[in-house]
Amino acid sequence: MADSSDMAQTNLPVIASTQAQTTATGDHPTSQVTQSLPIREAKSTKTPTSADNVNAKKNVAPKPSMSTTDGPTVAGGEKPLTPAELKKKAKAEKAARRAKEKLAKEGGAGAAGSPASGAPQGRPPVTPKKDASGASMAQKAQRATHTRRGSAPTGHGGDEPVKKEDKSVAVFGHLYGQPRRTTIAGAGKEVHPAVLALGLQLRDYVVCGSSARCVATLLAFKRVIESYTTPLGTSLSRHLTTHLSHQITYLSTCRPLSITQGNAIRALKLAISSIDPSTPELSAKATLCEFIDNFIREKITVADQVIAASAAQKVQDGDVIVTFAGSSIVKQTLLSAHKQGKRFRVSIIDSRPLFEGKNMARALANAGLDVQYSLVHGISHAIKDATKVFLGAHAMTSNGRLYSRVGTALVAMSAKERAGGVEVPVIVCCETVKFTDRVALDSIVVNEIADADELVSAQSAQQLTGVTDPVAPSKPDNKKGGKGASNAAKPATLASDLETSSSPLSNWKDNSNLQLLNIMYDVTPAEYVDMVVTEMGSLPPSAVPIVHRMTE
Amino acid sequence: MSTTKAGTAAADSKSFDIVATYNELLRSDPDITMPIAAIEALVHVLTHCPSSTISETLDLLEKSTAHLKRSIPNPIGLSAGTDLFQRYLITTLQRPGQLGPAGDFKAIRTHLLSNGRLFIRRAKESRQKIAAFGRGFIRDGCTVLTNGGSRAVASLLQKAADEEGGPSAVRFRVIYVLSSMSKNIEEPSGEPEGMETVRALRAKGVPVATIPESAVAYALGKTDMIIVGAEGVVENGGIVSRMGTYQIGLLAKAIGKPFYVVAESHKFVRLFPLGQYDLPIEQHVVDFKSADDIAEEKKRKQQTLDVGNGDKPVELPLSDSVDFTPPHLISALITDSGVLTPSAVSEELIKIWF
Repeated sequence: MADSSDMAQTNLPVIASTQAQTTATGDHPTSQVTQSLPIREAKSTKTPTSADNVNAKKNVAPKPSMSTTDGPTVAGGEKPLTPAELKKKAKAEKAARRAKEKLAKEGGAGAAGSPASGAPQGRPPVTPKKDASGASMAQKAQRATHTRRGSAPTGHGGDEPVKKEDKSVAVFGHLYGQPRRTTIAGAGKEVHPAVLALGLQLRDYVVCGSSARCVATLLAFKRVIESYTTPLGTSLSRHLTTHLSHQITYLSTCRPLSITQGNAIRALKLAISSIDPSTPELSAKATLCEFIDNFIREKITVADQVIAASAAQKVQDGDVIVTFAGSSIVKQTLLSAHKQGKRFRVSIIDSRPLFEGKNMARALANAGLDVQYSLVHGISHAIKDATKVFLGAHAMTSNGRLYSRVGTALVAMSAKERAGGVEVPVIVCCETVKFTDRVALDSIVVNEIADADELVSAQSAQQLTGVTDPVAPSKPDNKKGGKGASNAAKPATLASDLETSSSPLSNWKDNSNLQLLNIMYDVTPAEYVDMVVTEMGSLPPSAVPIVHRMTE
Repeated sequence: MSTTKAGTAAADSKSFDIVATYNELLRSDPDITMPIAAIEALVHVLTHCPSSTISETLDLLEKSTAHLKRSIPNPIGLSAGTDLFQRYLITTLQRPGQLGPAGDFKAIRTHLLSNGRLFIRRAKESRQKIAAFGRGFIRDGCTVLTNGGSRAVASLLQKAADEEGGPSAVRFRVIYVLSSMSKNIEEPSGEPEGMETVRALRAKGVPVATIPESAVAYALGKTDMIIVGAEGVVENGGIVSRMGTYQIGLLAKAIGKPFYVVAESHKFVRLFPLGQYDLPIEQHVVDFKSADDIAEEKKRKQQTLDVGNGDKPVELPLSDSVDFTPPHLISALITDSGVLTPSAVSEELIKIWF
């Protein structure tokens, strides 16, 4: 990035080499970029906002009815509940469940997410998603009508107020389901404290990333098994699975389970059911704990080492490696390539609202690598001098497609279709535990929707440094010299104004014309992936189902 | 105890020159392929150097393989053979029963050697099998474009030409792309690779046109299909082949003609190149020089001639250089295990290795 004028124009790439890192702690240059965004938005959306306020007033009447169908847990969750409130909440939950069941029936498949389901052997966390593919046709058809009605430009007079309150984006309507759990209140008494804690950690992205979630889940389940005693009149191999499914249901209400979690749980259940009922409880529990430890070691810890070693071989001197967000396995790969003495640059592309790349940038820069950090809208710059792209995965589907953090497909596509036609190989690092027999044709049928409020706050939920508002004080001198000082000062004050009040999107729920979509994943076509590095060797994406079949 | 034994075994293998054996095998038998020559050389090593334990055998094998790979400028082809043989040995030794680790080692050894020979014989027959599979691709009135000196392609074309002798033979034409690079610098007038096949085909009554590499795009309009050979088939279904194959593949894709690769399945290599410059060999095809560099090189060449060839690293002659044809350019691979799509190659490889 030699041309600084280019940088000044687009506000984008920030070079955080080891040297620049000390300044990064002081005033975070990236957050500047992100926070300059709302300013522009504020300007452009000013008139609509005021207009929408009028609209919002019009919609005051139907608003309470919405909160009964949609957001009771969100509203009532934060403060300690009185018995009356608890009762109300239970009622609301029941209503929501009923609504969901109705929806499922309409869709032609029973996506029963109720925790009291009597089938212990099934996979409660996976079923809703899985059914979604089957039921999607019907549901989509149903949603399609919504879209048509909703998007009609003239249709927002006073007609159908019920539709207006639906804050779910129509195409992704089938993904909304119940809102994520915000409290441990109301969790079943069978749920182990370790699992309770893990659930909240998963929800808050404290434990994030599909391998980390898998490991954390298994470790929590190990503690569940350790503290488990078989009730009288039943055997461990029969009862433990039901006991575990309570835990699993709780976890899936905190955040939909990842493919890895699903695969691990399936393996664990298989191990439980294969235990001879006559085995004494202590030894059976020891066997299971050992199984969990082995699973973590074989499928994740050692697999990661093998993958890092073999993927690092693909790094060559002089490479410019582009990666997206924060994959632990890509980080490991780059670090081990660096340890081998290879000289290369890393360009991390990150995205809102999770900013997973920041951790990665910090770790790599600390290790002595040259790191460039930019957000996803700077992708065309970052990809310009790239020679290789390394990506992490949430899952690999059976048609060879990569299911990963939203934005990955964009990075892969940019690398493959780069102007100039020079091909940049796209390499995916992925343990085989992330392989699934599901097939993804698009990122609509199967996906995860996170809380849309995450998009609203200007300050990210998971910032590396706890700096309080880095924009306001340092703004004038930190603004690039090329621009007029008066020009720079004006948005700065505006920004601080906004900072003190709130984001312009903060009351988006009151605005009937505004919908926010915070989607978590996308699907990268197999043609954009050259190579999948797994612990079983390097494969083309077309070989994913074969390896999956063998590892089953 | 075992270490000393391994040491003596290594010394034995030194006295038995595997590289010379390999080269001799390749020279003496014009029909042999590189992986098969490598396997045969390894079988020779095992017969010549008596080993008494399994780990000793494997160790010996590994050392000879490494030695062989180091001394050959382009080890892609032969590494397919050595990997395959090693894999075969390990699976045989791991199998339970009389021939497993518990069994009598002498019996295991003789079994290995006899099976190794059987393997070589079968591999040699595979070319006939390929010709049988691929025959159907060549139909009356079609024109086939091919290049290089692949024996698999030659046997396929000849099989099609003399199908049951005379009248029932397929009437097809061949455009043969002849390399402009001469085989070796010592005899620049030597005929280009593939002339032998051209003569054999012409003798069978097949009309053959020979064109230089620069005329491929021109000639593709008159072509119905392209059939090429390969030195190695890599994991993603692409091929490593004689320099010039890649550009033919690109042209075929651009013009929309099917591009078939003929390769024996023992040429499947555990290798995953990401592009042209990701092959594990040193080749100086693109070599930038200024006038000064040329003068200096001349001087150095004079010096080395005076001193005599020291231990200079083995370098691939330009005429033997290879390129990588990515899988998306390949329509199908005609192998002795059937006609495969490029993506099926990785499946075959995984089947062998796991």
